[in-house]
Amino acid sequence: MKDKKVLVVLNFSLAIIAIILVLNLFEFEFIPLGKAVYQPEEMLCVVNWQDNYNLWNDINSCCLEVRKQLSCEKDKAYYADKTVNWRCQTGELKYWLNDQTYDYCKKTSIW
Amino acid sequence: MVKKNKTKNKGQSKRQVKRWSIHEKVFLVLIVTILVLGSLNVAKAKGWLIPEQPELDIIDGVIKLDTMTLEQKIAQMVVVHGGTHNLLSWKNMQIGGIHLFALESPELYKDIISQFQQGMQVPFFVTVDYEGCLNPFANFINGTPVSEIDNIGDAFAKGSKDGKLLNELGFSINFAPVVDLNDEIWGCRSFPGSPEEIADLAEAYILGLQSKDMIATAKHYPGQTLVVKDPHKYIVVATIGEEDIYPYQYLTKKDDVASLMVSHIITTGEINSGGIPSVVSKELIFDLKEDYSGLIISDEINMLGLKDFYPTIDQMYIAVFKAGNDVVLNFNEDPNEVYHMIQVIVGAVDKGIILEEQIDNSVRKILTAKGFNVE
Repeated sequence: MKDKKVLVVLNFSLAIIAIILVLNLFEFEFIPLGKAVYQPEEMLCVVNWQDNYNLWNDINSCCLEVRKQLSCEKDKAYYADKTVNWRCQTGELKYWLNDQTYDYCKKTSIW
Repeated sequence: MVKKNKTKNKGQSKRQVKRWSIHEKVFLVLIVTILVLGSLNVAKAKGWLIPEQPELDIIDGVIKLDTMTLEQKIAQMVVVHGGTHNLLSWKNMQIGGIHLFALESPELYKDIISQFQQGMQVPFFVTVDYEGCLNPFANFINGTPVSEIDNIGDAFAKGSKDGKLLNELGFSINFAPVVDLNDEIWGCRSFPGSPEEIADLAEAYILGLQSKDMIATAKHYPGQTLVVKDPHKYIVVATIGEEDIYPYQYLTKKDDVASLMVSHIITTGEINSGGIPSVVSKELIFDLKEDYSGLIISDEINMLGLKDFYPTIDQMYIAVFKAGNDVVLNFNEDPNEVYHMIQVIVGAVDKGIILEEQIDNSVRKILTAKGFNVE
């Protein structure tokens, strides 16, 4: 009797998994229940070439350039009293991002 | 005695069959179903369910366009990120080109490019952004920033040197030089001087690069992409002045440069994109094509600003192709999405939204640039 109950619960769970797999296979899109909100004002991308540090407001283009770099590492720098804590680079040219920008970039389809 | 045993065995097997209750049977069926569905999902995610395109009829370097499927033609117009995790999908789709990001060593570039090109009837375009300070090879080679190049001899020498390196590594297109004015962000991406001097230096660089069998790309038409923009807007309007457009007009009229990249900026002034991003402005691109026969390349299309301009991503895909871009950069890491884009464009051609003649013209240019004779 106890085994039967366990099997019923298991079968129910497996059936749900199977349904999810079918929906995923046929690219069914669920209505989004929530969406992360990124405020462009809070996102920072700073381009650093030699001694020059300049803000790059085009965050999407910044994400693409960052994606092209060899590595991104946790680091710390300041730009206009704001902290940027990701350093992405291949050579001398560096891109400094704050956490919001880095998280946003990682969620784009090009990553 | 033997008879008794047989009866006993029959009885036992009957009892064994009875042990499979309905719940147990359902459990087994579900487990098998989940294993099959799971495998299908993994195969799909890896792009293994994307059908392979048929072989092409290529005789003595001659390709007949009417022997190509519409999917093959559209795939030739697409450049994707050349990650080896998607190698099989890109090969099966017969995608036109791969773009490579920064890697650790020249050997790695050569190896990856060789893996992609192996067995391809139509080779991939292999593209890169090697400008100078923007340098994916910075791990093993120092590039001279174009901002430090101030005479034609040095510009030609840099183009020639860059072209030699890229050719040796296996690249075919360099998305350089930048001919936009006033680099306010990097401070190293544009040539120094007046628009006329920039045009001359860019021309010399292009001739040097192309002397090594590389395709150069003047970018980002129609200019104003290196200036600081309004942080509250994803896509901005820039006013293009005579000085912004001068280097492009100089290079396209002479037909020096083999390709040109169009930006996502909405423009007014000397070049008017009609209130929509330049890359989807049919008027802007077809005007450009009147005086210029080279390849028109779109900037990467996954920019949120461009996506947000359309209610659906399918509409954006159609707009980018319909506008007249010959080569479309889509660095989406999901091969299924790139395949979906190709299907959307096939559908748009079937419905007459995009003319097949326009697709044919772009593919003819691409295949010619790859060294084929197209009939």
